[in-house]
Amino acid sequence: MAGASETDAKLVESETTETDAVAGVAVGLSAVLFALAVTALFERVSLTGSLFGVGTVTLLGGLLTALGVAVIAFGAGSRLGYVETDPDPSAGLVAGFGAAVPWVLIGGSVASQTLGLGTGVGVVAGVAVGAVAFALTVLPREDVGSTLPLGALLVLTGLVFLTGVIDPAWAWELDWEQQAAITAEFLIPAATLFAALYGGWASAKAYGGFGARGRHMGAYVLVYLNALSIVAFLCILVAYVVVQGVPGLLTGVDVGLGTGPETTILGVSVALPVSVPFVMNGVALLNDFQGVLPAIVGTFWLVIGAVLLAVPLGVGAAVFLTEYAERGRFTQVVEVATNGLWSTPSIVFGLFGFAFLIPRFGNGKSLLSGMITLGFMLLPLVVITSREAMLSVPDEYRDASAALGVSKWQTIRSVVLPAALPGVVTGVILGVGRIAGETAPILLTMAGGTFLPGSQTVDVIGGFQFTATPPFVANPALLEATSALPYQLFALITAGVGLGSNVGDPDAFRWATALILLMVVLSFYAIGIATRYYFRRRLKHT
Amino acid sequence: MSENQNPQTQTSTATTDTDQPLTTTTGETDERTRDEWTDYEFRGEAKMTVDDLDVYYGDDHALKGVSMEIPERSVTALIGPSGCGKSTYLRCLNRMNDRIKSATIDGSVRFDGQEIYQDGVNLVELRKRVGMVFQSPNPFPKSIRENIAYGPKKHGDLDTGLLARLLNRSDAEERDRLVERCLRDAALWDEVSDRLDDNALGLSGGQQQRLCIARCLSVDPEIILMDEPASALDPIATAKIEDLIEDLAEEYTVVIVTHNMQQAARISDQTAVFLTGGELVEYGDTDQVFEDPHSERVEDYITGKFG
Ligand SMILES: Nc1ncnc2c1ncn2[C@@H]1O[C@H](COP(=O)(O)OP(=O)(O)OP(=O)(O)O)[C@@H](O)[C@H]1O
Ligand SMILES: [Mg+2]
Repeated sequence: MAGASETDAKLVESETTETDAVAGVAVGLSAVLFALAVTALFERVSLTGSLFGVGTVTLLGGLLTALGVAVIAFGAGSRLGYVETDPDPSAGLVAGFGAAVPWVLIGGSVASQTLGLGTGVGVVAGVAVGAVAFALTVLPREDVGSTLPLGALLVLTGLVFLTGVIDPAWAWELDWEQQAAITAEFLIPAATLFAALYGGWASAKAYGGFGARGRHMGAYVLVYLNALSIVAFLCILVAYVVVQGVPGLLTGVDVGLGTGPETTILGVSVALPVSVPFVMNGVALLNDFQGVLPAIVGTFWLVIGAVLLAVPLGVGAAVFLTEYAERGRFTQVVEVATNGLWSTPSIVFGLFGFAFLIPRFGNGKSLLSGMITLGFMLLPLVVITSREAMLSVPDEYRDASAALGVSKWQTIRSVVLPAALPGVVTGVILGVGRIAGETAPILLTMAGGTFLPGSQTVDVIGGFQFTATPPFVANPALLEATSALPYQLFALITAGVGLGSNVGDPDAFRWATALILLMVVLSFYAIGIATRYYFRRRLKHT
Repeated sequence: MSENQNPQTQTSTATTDTDQPLTTTTGETDERTRDEWTDYEFRGEAKMTVDDLDVYYGDDHALKGVSMEIPERSVTALIGPSGCGKSTYLRCLNRMNDRIKSATIDGSVRFDGQEIYQDGVNLVELRKRVGMVFQSPNPFPKSIRENIAYGPKKHGDLDTGLLARLLNRSDAEERDRLVERCLRDAALWDEVSDRLDDNALGLSGGQQQRLCIARCLSVDPEIILMDEPASALDPIATAKIEDLIEDLAEEYTVVIVTHNMQQAARISDQTAVFLTGGELVEYGDTDQVFEDPHSERVEDYITGKFG
């Protein structure tokens, strides 16, 4: 035990004691529970199965109970003076409300559902139980207030799991609709998740010895768990798509000399040594394996075209607005207009492209119309972010440049724009993420058939032709209808038609398409982030 | 913008204006007219002649009828309490005040006999010839080398671009010579010669300030305006900058704002004292101003009774 005899606050914490260790283990335990709950929520851990030889639900229940007992023991030990802590007189209102909310839910549902007393009684009971939890948190000294109600919550949840009151087969039929029900599959992980958060919070406070330091530790653990869960959610999402998509992606993969399709590199025809039919083929009757090559290439050119259109226009507009235009009515109007454009639903842009662009570009859906439509969608974001970035370039740089006798335009070009570039790139990254996944505008302006044969892959570079009459350069490839990944995915899911017997496993085909879409968007991200990193480095430390 | 059309009547002093706004408001009745104390006689040429300069920020009258002649190749110190308009005055000399929207400037400033507040003044040329070092160091977020080469490059005096390199006409050597000369002049060379390609933001505050001075020298100005260049520096760096200013005065005309009277006394040839409200109260030989000021208010300020 922390056997120091002095009573006033210590400047130096005595070395780790057993109590600290117990509290630390409790914090760790809640982190483990939190991770288990997240994985169970995404069905990576089966509730009906077992972990370490114990049934999953039993394990969760046991851990929760142990954590709750530890938390309560810590509070009691501190109150009775066995553990040296530094508590405040009260745990505070925030902790009070935090503890009240789960108890309101528990009280309400037990009264109205388990005991079958009806909604009215349920509400009253919920409020009453919540009020008791609130009072128990706020009124006693902090060490009791911030452990007892939460510890009890944990123990209760744990016992419910342990005793099998809620087992994996449990479901609560809601009467609103025919099929709405809260199932154990959702409830158990969710309840564990929140209980783990509360347990982590309480035991972190105990670990910090309550008081200011304890609150700091509590907040730290909460914030940390939150950040971790964001990362976890992202990883799980990506992993999920990858796991589902890889089989479809890898159907028919073949490695070996001459297995791949013929490509022409610098006029020499070479057969690639690998063959991944899914990304190298289109869809055709005679194909052994079907693929989405036209859609990949379509998405790629679509994004390139939109960026090429939007970035110069957007950055130019931002330069005008920040550096040249007098701040006033006009700039305000432009600002409102750009913000409004950015919030305009994409289907509206699509309709615009359909009604305005298509008749002007060859009277048919075309890659070019798609590029322009998406370019217009991207434009407002580029304007907004570039403007912000330029406004945040300190005026000192402009003054310094002006004092050297450098003209305004040169100052913008050599000082303001380089300093603003990372911000501009961030904007473009965000925008590309959005437009690469757009379906509606593509559906209206660009998409030809759902399933294109490989021969219809657009060849923008090879499509350039020189003509004797103005405009001297033509590119029929730009005027062809083509496909893009999100549109293809949409068509696969809603229609599901057209695959016929060509694709053995439509589900795998869909997931593989989703995986490719994700990979294409993520690689644009990667390019963007690398660019931004490069420009940042140039600004900071060379 | 605050372009000003009228170089007023080109009288050397502004006393004859009868409709001049009253500048004396408080407890000054017992003092003699200011003009005698600001009418500084010196040998040699005036590099800048300021005549009856008024500056307003909106309705705020920040500088009141300042007239002053700044001699060539010397150090002129501007002192006075905070907010009395020293920076404002300095910014008038290279028309940096034009960049402040609310500022209106009235009066005449002649540089080598040429009015700078008139239509058709080439601001780029003016600011090239009248350089400025700001109150807080403001290097560009570029390498040390690029910071110094920036001005000459933009003026087309140095070409190290891709095209020039391809055509084998790159001025890289010339640039490096220039960088070295400016850094040596600014007493920074020894500290940074081995890391010219490092970002300038990685330098210490004092080094950044000297870099800004070097950058200012790079475009070869005739006048250097310095706004408290040593305010953020330790005594050693300050001493370096003071030495530097004294050296610079052999070639350049230096106008320096400072809050540090010992500094003004040490390095300047003549001193101008501004007092609250934006008046130039006394201007003269530094020794005379510090040892035997005419104005009681200036004496109070210098001896620390107020301000
Ligand atoms: N950009 C501006 N807009 C409006 N008022 C200004 C501006 N710059 C300065 N002023 C006002 O003009 C007056 C003189 O300011 P100035 O910066 O010239 O003082 P200073 O003598 O340099 O003071 P310090 O020694 O603190 O730097 C002050 O009252 C200030 O509030
Ligand atoms: Mg100032």
